Amino acid sequence: METTELKKQSDRSYSIALAKQNALEKAKSKQILAYNGHLFLADAHTINLVKVLKEQRQEFIILDSNDNPVLIDKSDDFLEKLIAKNQEVLNTYHQEYQQFKKLR
Amino acid sequence: MNAGVLLYCFNTESYRYDKIAAKTVPLLKKNLKLPITIVTNMETFKELPPLGMINYKIIEHEKGNKIDNKPWHNLDRWRAYSISPYDKTILLDIDYFCYTNSLLELLDVDEDFLVHDKVYDLTGRNAYTFREKSAIPMVWATCIVFNKSKKAQEIFDMVGYIKRHYPYFCSLYRIDFRNFRNDYAFAIALQQLGGFTGYNTLPTRLPTLPANAVVKEFSDTHIKWEMEGRSGVIENTDVHVIDKGVAYV
Repeated sequence: METTELKKQSDRSYSIALAKQNALEKAKSKQILAYNGHLFLADAHTINLVKVLKEQRQEFIILDSNDNPVLIDKSDDFLEKLIAKNQEVLNTYHQEYQQFKKLR
Repeated sequence: MNAGVLLYCFNTESYRYDKIAAKTVPLLKKNLKLPITIVTNMETFKELPPLGMINYKIIEHEKGNKIDNKPWHNLDRWRAYSISPYDKTILLDIDYFCYTNSLLELLDVDEDFLVHDKVYDLTGRNAYTFREKSAIPMVWATCIVFNKSKKAQEIFDMVGYIKRHYPYFCSLYRIDFRNFRNDYAFAIALQQLGGFTGYNTLPTRLPTLPANAVVKEFSDTHIKWEMEGRSGVIENTDVHVIDKGVAYV
C-alpha cells in the first residue's frame, strides 16, 4: 500500500479517535445535575450510592461535587432525576458512538 | 432572583472582539435565553453590529497589559461584581461559544462563586499543562458563575487588589507568565480568601480549542478546525476558542 494511503488512514483514525474522546467528554460534562441547591454528577457512582442508601434509610446524607454534605429526604425523586439525566446523556453518547463505528 | 450573562468586549489594535461578539451573542440567546449585558468601551460599541435586546455597560477600560507584545484589555474583569445587574451572573469570555444549555443547570446551585479548575483540550493534544508554570494551581476565569453575595464581592475585590500589586503576587507565587492573567489572579484570590485550604469549583473541565487550532468554519451548530494538517468538528459542545481568527470565519 502507498505511504500516502497509510498516512490518510492514520489521519482518519486520529479524527475518529478524537471525535470519540470528545463525545465521551461531552457526555461527562452533561452529567451535571443541580439538586437541592447542590451540584452532583449523574454518574454510575452517584446512582449506585443513592440506590444503596435508599434501600437502608428514608433520609440520608451524601456529598455533592465539592464534598459539601446534603440531606436527601426525597430519595425516590432524586434517584429518578439522576437516572433520567444519566440515561439522557448516555443515550446521546451511544447514538454518536454508533456513527463512529460506521466510520472505521 | 434574576439571572443573566455578562460579557466583556474590548477591541484592540490586533483583534476585533466585536466580530466575535456577533457570533457569541446569538448562540447565547438561542441556547440560554437569558438576559445579556456586554461591558465595552465607546470605541468597540460603535463597531458592534445590532445584536437585538441586550444591555450595554460602557466603561473606560484600563490599559497597559499585553500578550505576545500586543495590547490585552483584560484588567477590568475584577469589576464584574459591581457592574453585573444580575443576582446570579454567568460571566463568560467573549470567545466562549455556548452550543448547549448546560450552563443553565448552574443557576439552581446555592454556591456564591464557581469556576473551572480543569481544562479539556478538544484537539486531544493536552496542550494545557501549566501546573509547572507557577507555585499555585491555575483556575480558568473563562466561565465564572457568581451570586451577589458578600463572599463573591470579597473574591472580586481581592482580584482587584491582586491586579494592583500583580508583580508582587507574580513573584510570590513564582508565576512564569509576567503579564496580568485573570486566571492566576482568581486562583490567588480564591486560595487566600479560602484560608489556603481550597475552594469550590465546577465539576467539569473547560472544553477549549487551543490557539494553534485554526477555526475554518463556524455555524450555529458546529465549529470546524484544522491544526498541523489534521482537522476536527465540534458539535453540541460549549467551547472556549483561543484562535482570535474566529472573528473572520
